Amino acid sequence: MKFPCSPIETKRLLLRPFERTDLDQVMDYYALPEVQRYLDVKGRDRTECVSAIEAMSRQRRFNRPGDVVSLAIVRRNDRKLVGQISLRWTDATASQAEVRFVVNPDFCGEGYCTEAMRAVLDVAFGELGFHRVFARCGAKNRGTAQMLKKLGMRLEAHYREHALFQGEWDEELHFAILDREWQRGGKVKELTTHLVA
Amino acid sequence: MYYSPTLPILTSRLRLRAFVPSDVDAVFDYRRREDVTQYLTDPPMNQQRCAEIVGARLSQLSLAEEGDKIFLAVERRSDSAMLGEVTLILRNLEARQGEIGYILHPRHHGQGYATEASQTLLKMGFDGAGLHRIYARCDVRNAASYGVMERLGMRREAHFREHALFKGAWDEEFVYALLEDEWRGSIGRSLGDR
Repeated sequence: MKFPCSPIETKRLLLRPFERTDLDQVMDYYALPEVQRYLDVKGRDRTECVSAIEAMSRQRRFNRPGDVVSLAIVRRNDRKLVGQISLRWTDATASQAEVRFVVNPDFCGEGYCTEAMRAVLDVAFGELGFHRVFARCGAKNRGTAQMLKKLGMRLEAHYREHALFQGEWDEELHFAILDREWQRGGKVKELTTHLVA
Repeated sequence: MYYSPTLPILTSRLRLRAFVPSDVDAVFDYRRREDVTQYLTDPPMNQQRCAEIVGARLSQLSLAEEGDKIFLAVERRSDSAMLGEVTLILRNLEARQGEIGYILHPRHHGQGYATEASQTLLKMGFDGAGLHRIYARCDVRNAASYGVMERLGMRREAHFREHALFKGAWDEEFVYALLEDEWRGSIGRSLGDR
């Protein structure tokens, strides 16, 4: 399955593969405990971050289920790296994918995550033809839960103490959306804005 | 971890015991049925396949490693009729998570046997194996099955829609769960009610 090789552009953002020079900006948020939670590649110090970026920069296409595509979220006007977003192909027969995302807390509240999510969901349901995309977040993370709801994702699960996370009981939410439920509103709106402008 | 229940376990109407080779006919009697298997991963089974699973169940009586299963035959005490089977599965060792499941012959549905047997499974899991959380899953169309979960005091934690393909169609699934503390609390309350 092909993933767009060229970067994805949105109104304010550029979603592109990771580069070695992203190190300092990634380190600004990567080692935070609340960020580490959902990362496959740990990055608690500089050395680990270097290998994490290297690993993520290789995650560019889907060849088989389990593969991940990781993209840096870059602000177009000043080239600031504000976070990252990834899509994992979890199931081939049922066309399922999981989306994960991190935004540097310094850049939260600007709607960057929503904007990046819209673009990735467009690709996931459009070119990639997934049937269902799901996302997980900690139950205490109300901001994220709110954002996922606003995107039209449905709360499908609220697990309590189903796992241990850093020695403590975890509580987790699952959100999901089906291809037929996804409103490709983001794109339409952008096009309209463009035509009017 | 190592847990193996002392068998048989008696409840007011039931005897939960280890499988014996002569259970094959009774197992075949419900495992061959379409109305029993429609919501199970297993397809309907022939006699030989039932003999194989009964053979495997003779020794599936303890929990030590992740994925280990205890399978018990459910027998009615009054007439020793074999009603079906129940299972307790160790799903996660570190977080002490378990899963329960039950299959009864439709002839014996609607009399609270599954609930009665499953209460024993919860006791085995929480008291015996020291589990922290026990969950159960079923197809959303299987009202009889989640009825049991609700009577056991389990909470609906998940409603997954079209998250997988099941027997060629989109699957829709409920997950119910109960924490050890909740279970102890509910037992305290039901004792207080009496």
